[in-house]
Amino acid sequence: MSGLFLNMIKEEWRIHSTMFGSLNFALFPVLICAIGFMGTFLIPLIQNTLTLTDLVILIHANYLMLGLMVGAFGLLGNEVMNRRFGQASLLAYSARTLPLTPRYIFLTFVLKDTLYYFFLWILPLGAGFFIASLVIGIDLMIPLRLLVTLTFSFLSGMSCIFFLSTVYERSARLLGIILVLSGLIGSFYTIYYGINPASLFPALLLFTTFNVKNLFLTLLTLIIPFIAALLLYSPDTRNTTKIYENKMKPLIHRLRFIPYPSLMVKDMLDLWRSGSIIGQVIFSFFVPLVVIWFFLSLLDEYISILQLLFTFAMITGIIASTMYTWITMFDSLSIYTVLPVDVPVVIKSKITLFSLLQVIPALFISGICLFAGEGAYLFPVLVLTLSVSFYVLAVMIWLTGLSPSVLVYSARVMVLYFLLIGLILAIFSSLTMINPWSGIGAVLLFIPAYEFIKLGFRRWDRVEQGIF
Amino acid sequence: MEYVIITHNLTKFYGNLIAVNSVNLSVRKGSLFGLLGPNGSGKTTIIKMLTGQILPSSGKGDVLGIDVVSDPIKVRTLVGIIPEQETPPSFLTVMEYLDFVAEIRKIPEIEKKAAWWFNYLDFEDKKHVLCKDLSRGTRQKLMLTQAFIHEPELALIDEPLINFDPIMQAKVKEFFVSYVQKNNTLFLSTHLLETAEEICSDIAILHKGDLLYSGSMSKILEENRHLSEFFLSLVRR
Ligand SMILES: Nc1ncnc2c1ncn2[C@@H]1O[C@H](COP(=O)(O)OP(=O)(O)O)[C@@H](O)[C@H]1O
Ligand SMILES: [Mg+2]
Repeated sequence: MSGLFLNMIKEEWRIHSTMFGSLNFALFPVLICAIGFMGTFLIPLIQNTLTLTDLVILIHANYLMLGLMVGAFGLLGNEVMNRRFGQASLLAYSARTLPLTPRYIFLTFVLKDTLYYFFLWILPLGAGFFIASLVIGIDLMIPLRLLVTLTFSFLSGMSCIFFLSTVYERSARLLGIILVLSGLIGSFYTIYYGINPASLFPALLLFTTFNVKNLFLTLLTLIIPFIAALLLYSPDTRNTTKIYENKMKPLIHRLRFIPYPSLMVKDMLDLWRSGSIIGQVIFSFFVPLVVIWFFLSLLDEYISILQLLFTFAMITGIIASTMYTWITMFDSLSIYTVLPVDVPVVIKSKITLFSLLQVIPALFISGICLFAGEGAYLFPVLVLTLSVSFYVLAVMIWLTGLSPSVLVYSARVMVLYFLLIGLILAIFSSLTMINPWSGIGAVLLFIPAYEFIKLGFRRWDRVEQGIF
Repeated sequence: MEYVIITHNLTKFYGNLIAVNSVNLSVRKGSLFGLLGPNGSGKTTIIKMLTGQILPSSGKGDVLGIDVVSDPIKVRTLVGIIPEQETPPSFLTVMEYLDFVAEIRKIPEIEKKAAWWFNYLDFEDKKHVLCKDLSRGTRQKLMLTQAFIHEPELALIDEPLINFDPIMQAKVKEFFVSYVQKNNTLFLSTHLLETAEEICSDIAILHKGDLLYSGSMSKILEENRHLSEFFLSLVRR
C-alpha cells in the first residue's frame, strides 16, 4: 500500500503547492492552529452568551459537517474526475495498470483523504487549543479528549457520506428509502421521547462521558457504514459509447435572450449528464444542512427559535453559494482559450446559471421556515438567505475568479473569505435579533456584491488562467 | 512582403526560468511555417502568447496587424487555434461542441460545414458521442475541425499530428498544404523534423528559449542533405 499511498500524497501536495505556492499552502495548518489558540482565550469572554456545552456542540457539529463536505467533495470530485476524463483519471488508471484490486485502491484513496484533512484541519486546531490550555491552565485532559472526539466527528461525517454515496451509485431508490427512513426515525425520537437525535451523536456523548462503552459505540458507528461502503463499492469500468440527442441547438434557441447562451447550455449539460446535480444537491447541500439544523436546535435552550432560524438562513446562504463550484468544476483549460470569449463573459454566464440554481435553497429554507412554525417570517428569512448567497458568491468571484476550489488551500484567500463573511454574519445576526424584519435589509448586500463582481472582472480578465 | 505574425523581442519568464528569450519572428502570409525545437524549448509558450492565453513578460506580438496584448479577443476571433492539450468539453457530444463553437463564433450553416469535416476526417459515426468517450485520435480530429470550421486566414497549431495514425497524418498534411495554397497561413509547432521537412515552406528553430534560426526551408535543403543534419548542428553547438 505504501508505494501507491505515497504517490497519491505526493500528487496531492504537488497539485496544491503548484497552484498556490508551497508557502501559502504550508501556512494553512499554521493558520488553523492560530485560530484554535486564540479562540481558546475567547472562551471566558463569551461564556455569558454561549455556554461551554454549547460551544462544544457547535465545534463537534462543525467537524461533522466538515467530514460530510470533505467526503462529498472528495468522492464526488473523484467521480467528476472519473467521468470527465473517462478512463484517464489516476484512480481508474491505476486500477488497470497496477496489479491491485479497485477496492484496494479506493481504500487507499479514502485513507489519503482522511490523513490529509486530519493534518490540515483537525490536528492544528487541537494543537492550538492544547497550547492555549497550557498557557491558561485548563485541565490538559480536555484538549486531548477534544482532539479524539473531533477526529471521530470528522470521520463519522466522512464514513456516513461514503456509505450514502456508494448506495447512491448502486441505486438511487435505495438511497431515497434510507434517507426517508432515517428522517422518520429521527422524527419518531423527537416526538415520542422528546429527544433531539443530534444529542445522541456518539462523538458528542463520548466527549461528555468518556468511557469504554461510549468509545466502543463511537467506533462501531464509524466502522459499520465504512465497511458497508467498501463492500458496496463497485468501480465504473464500463466503456460506453452511448449516443446522445443533440440538446445544444434547441436549448440555445430557447435561451436566445441571454448573451452567449451556449456557455450556459454547456454548464447545464455538464451538471445534468455527469449526474452531479442530484448527487451534489443531496450530499453537498441537503444532508449537511439537515444535520446542522438538528445540531443548532440543541442550542434552543439558550437562543430562541427565531434566532435559530435566521442563523440557519445565513448558513444556508453560505452553503448555497458553494453551488458556484458545481458549475466551474467541469471546465478545462482549452475550452475557452481557443475561442473569442474573455473571462468576464464566462463568469457572467456562470452567474446566470447560479441564479437559476438558487431555486433550490429558496425552496429548502421556505420548507425549514414552515417546519419551524415561523411562516410569518418567511419573507425576511428568504431575502436573507438569497442575499447572503449572492454576496458570498461575489466574494468568491473576486477572490478566485473561475477557480473557486483555490479557497480551500490558500491561507491568504481563506482569511479574507472568512473575514468578509464573518463581518456580515455578525451584522445580520445582531440586527435580526433586535428586529426579525431587518432581515429584509440584507438586500443591501447586493451593492457590495455588485462591486466585488466588478472588481473580480477587472482582476481576472488579464490574469493568466493557468488553472482556468 | 506581407506578414501575418511579427514579434518584437518577445520574452516570457516563469519565475527565474526564461522560457522564451527576446524572440523576433516574422511569418509571411501564405507560408506553412514550422516552429521547431526539442521539448521544453518554448514552442507552446510562444503560441500561447500569440493567442492571448498568457501575457508576455516583455516585448510585443502582432497577429494579423493586431497587438495581441491589447486585443486578444479580436485576435482569437480571426484565427483558429489547436492547443497542445486537446480537451473538448467532456459532456457535450461532438456535434453539440461544434454548435457551441458556431454560436460563439457566429458561424452560419454549421451543419453543412460540419458534415464536410465528418466526411473528410471520417468520424461521422462519432457525431452524437460524448467528447469524454472519444479516443485521443478522434478528439484531435474534432479539435482540427473546430480550428478550421470558420475558415480562418491564419491558424496556430501546437503539435498537430501527434495522435494520428499514419493514414490520417498523410491526410492532414495534404490538407495543410492545400490550405496554404488558398493564400492562408499556418503556424505549426512540432518536434517532428521529418514532418517539417516534408511540408513546411519556412521554419524557425528554437532552443532553450533562444531563436537560433529563421528562414526558408529550400535554402536549408540547398546546403544540407536533411533538415535533421542542420538542426542538430545548430542545437548541439
Ligand atoms: N506554467 C508554467 N510554469 C512554469 N514553467 C513553465 C510553465 N509552462 C512552461 N514552463 C517551462 O517553460 C519552458 C518552455 O515550455 P514549453 O513552451 O511548453 O516548451 P515546448 O512547447 O517547446 O515543449 C519549459 O522549460 C517548461 O518547463
Ligand atoms: Mg509544447
